[in-house]
Amino acid sequence: MMGMFRKGNKNKKKKEKIDIILNGLVIFFAVLNLFPLYWLFTSSLKNSSDVVKMPPDWFPKTITFSNYVDVFNNQPAFRWAFNSIFVSLVSTIALIIVSCLAAYAFSKLKFKGKNVIFIIFISSLMVPKEVMIVPLFRIIQDLGMVNSLNGMIWPNVATAFGVFMLKGFFDSIPDSLRESARIDGASEFTVFYRIMVPMVKPGIGALFILNFVQVWNDYLWQLVVGQDENSKTLMVGIATLMQDLNPNFAYKMAGATVAAVPMLLIFIFFQKYFTSGISIGAVKE
Amino acid sequence: MRIKRESIKENLTGYLFIAPQLLLFLVFVVYPIIEGIRLSLYRINYQSETFIGFENYNRLFADPVFVKSTINTVVFVVFIVALTVIFALFVSSAIFDKNAKYVSFIRGSYYIPVMVSMVVMSMVWSFLLNPANGLIPYAARQLELTSVNFLGDTNLVLPVIIFVTFATNVGSAIILYVASMIGVPKDIFEAAEIDGASRLEIIFKILIPMVKPTTIYIIIMNIIAVLKIFVVIQLLTGGGPNNASTTLMYFLYNNAFKYNQLGTASAVGVIMFLIALVLSIPQLRAMFKKD
Repeated sequence: MMGMFRKGNKNKKKKEKIDIILNGLVIFFAVLNLFPLYWLFTSSLKNSSDVVKMPPDWFPKTITFSNYVDVFNNQPAFRWAFNSIFVSLVSTIALIIVSCLAAYAFSKLKFKGKNVIFIIFISSLMVPKEVMIVPLFRIIQDLGMVNSLNGMIWPNVATAFGVFMLKGFFDSIPDSLRESARIDGASEFTVFYRIMVPMVKPGIGALFILNFVQVWNDYLWQLVVGQDENSKTLMVGIATLMQDLNPNFAYKMAGATVAAVPMLLIFIFFQKYFTSGISIGAVKE
Repeated sequence: MRIKRESIKENLTGYLFIAPQLLLFLVFVVYPIIEGIRLSLYRINYQSETFIGFENYNRLFADPVFVKSTINTVVFVVFIVALTVIFALFVSSAIFDKNAKYVSFIRGSYYIPVMVSMVVMSMVWSFLLNPANGLIPYAARQLELTSVNFLGDTNLVLPVIIFVTFATNVGSAIILYVASMIGVPKDIFEAAEIDGASRLEIIFKILIPMVKPTTIYIIIMNIIAVLKIFVVIQLLTGGGPNNASTTLMYFLYNNAFKYNQLGTASAVGVIMFLIALVLSIPQLRAMFKKD
């Protein structure tokens, strides 16, 4: 009996050893992967000569916020930030409204051509809108939406991603709930709005976060649509600092930090929505 | 009669519910695809459009920069997707059965660069790699390596961009794998352990085959994402040196918005559209099988 116990124990120990080595590597790479962000943040707090000093200061010796003051003084950074927030927020709210309506119809209602339309919607998910950027830009031109936030918003609301994601949530609600409410005389819209929408709130939450971040980082389209100083978004504006004649890297890093912080905060506060939201998009089997 | 009227009403309700989404979809998704195909057959000079058949395509295939862009895009897709899948499998299989706090800490650490966005990460890397005062060339000089200009060297620029893109984006694949691995029933591992399987055997023979649908999903989503790789090129190399790092999306953008070659740019878009469509067939089939 002693022998058996010892053997089992030894076996377990051996397994743990490999596990510990692998997890050690995982932690090592995780720290390494975060290093560029550490470097970004600490560089933004250095003055223009310290930031390029070799050998470098691993911790900033003197901390200065002057780079941040410069970013906000030299550039309309508040305007850029407002544009980014506005575009991301309006796109996301509009997307949630239109895709809730459509997802509900695809899940619970019967109408001719439903399956065909749904298949076309879903097939479009795999084609990034950027490949059709020329005709898309011409439409925006025809609609008079160049240099306007509207031009950045509406193409993003057209994506079928929300329908795809929310349909799964509506599917999990039993049909009987709708039928009994309908027999009691509630209109279709009342059933949708009062009963169904509250039940898919977790899906809406996940979609909100995912889409907000998606639009926030929608660099190429915003670059094309917003060409004048007033309609630039934060990502586009900050990226122009790279081409800025100002050679001070600390200044550029401060700009990049300004663009990074909002997303970092969102991630820290809403982490569970991300992890659930991203996995919902994937095939579950 | 009554039944017919009921079904008309039911149809109408359905259409009303999908109308806003459908309208936006037709204007901003379907129409641009059709219009893009049409434009790719035209020569476009400001106001005038001349039908030229497949000439835009013929000229593209004869253009060395387009060929280089295509080759680079394929190289990026192959290496970035392979690195992402292998590394994400390695991280996720090491952490998925550990305690929840540890899992969410590791997952978060790898996901933060994804959140922070490719724009910001490209700016940091461009500073880290700057030949005059970047940290990495400094380290290379300390190690007495011959080349310190990583982005200016035609042989090094592709590996560097592959690494930067992979390191920034691998977090989404890790999140997907961890979620999928946590979903595998525990008793399968316990049974294997009782039979004396080592951890590595469990990972390679049970875990990785069980998460195959996730692997397929990750591969396809990453192919589509890398296909439109743009930001990192624009901010790190500008396609250089000497077009060594140009990609299809970057080539399309330059033709459309710098050289005003809208017909050529549309043709590139159509080619990319077809590639995306062909690549997504396995994923679409998997999704519809489920329904």
